[in-house]
Amino acid sequence: MAWLEASFLGHVMRSSGVWTYGIVNLIHILGVSALFGSVLALDLRLLGVWPTVPLVTVAGTTVPIARVGFAVAATSGVGLLATKATEYVGNPFLLIKFPAIAIALINVMVIARLPGWQARAVREPSDRERRQLAIAGAVSLLSWLTAVAAGRMIGYW
Amino acid sequence: MRSSLAALCGALALTALLFVPAPAAAHHGWAGNSTEEFEITGTVEKAVSLAGPHATMQVRAEGKVWDLTLAPPARTEKAGLTEKVIPVGATVTVHGHRNSDPKKFEIKTERVTWNGKTFDVYPDRK
Repeated sequence: MAWLEASFLGHVMRSSGVWTYGIVNLIHILGVSALFGSVLALDLRLLGVWPTVPLVTVAGTTVPIARVGFAVAATSGVGLLATKATEYVGNPFLLIKFPAIAIALINVMVIARLPGWQARAVREPSDRERRQLAIAGAVSLLSWLTAVAAGRMIGYW
Repeated sequence: MRSSLAALCGALALTALLFVPAPAAAHHGWAGNSTEEFEITGTVEKAVSLAGPHATMQVRAEGKVWDLTLAPPARTEKAGLTEKVIPVGATVTVHGHRNSDPKKFEIKTERVTWNGKTFDVYPDRK
């Protein structure tokens, strides 16, 4: 954490004007809301909500938004953390947030390997595949919800 | 359609209840900080930083180094308290609310007085 705070990024965050932190924080929230909003729609579809809307259609709109949202949130988040990185040592919400993000990202890799996901453009999933997708959707929703909730609480510790 | 209209009316009615006047609460400090007004005089250990989310500085007093949490950067700057105004080593008086944990030497700071000048970062708080 000390090296992050001492980094060029940390220095720029602290010394480039009184609105820098607020604006980067705004960008972070926009990224998180794009990510979580699109993930919520996709996960609910995986859990069986809106069964008449094809999975391939939902995935086609939500996945690109989630990707961009994650990239924006992660980039701005490093800036926020670097500002006073050493102050977050021992913050329990940080220790909840980052493992939750790690689980969510591992789950993304798992979903990408599920046969029901891979075949979404050519056929409807079988019952077994539907269950696998639903479990992955539940894990995704829980881990992202945990990450967002713990992230919001960091500032209140 | 009719049921969602009913749900909306219900939600609005419940929300309206939240705005019924409640018995006035006593003046209170920030969450996590004591409600008592706190004042201490010491020397500047680390000059003002206008980095977010809150401006900060450090003061040595009574053998301890105190972390001062000031207002957000823009508001602290508006109060005239910028990085180079008070030099390290200067004697300052700090007014605010101490962290409610007695083992933590942290003060949510409302004003800093130095050299006859008062920097009131939270002018609407007493």
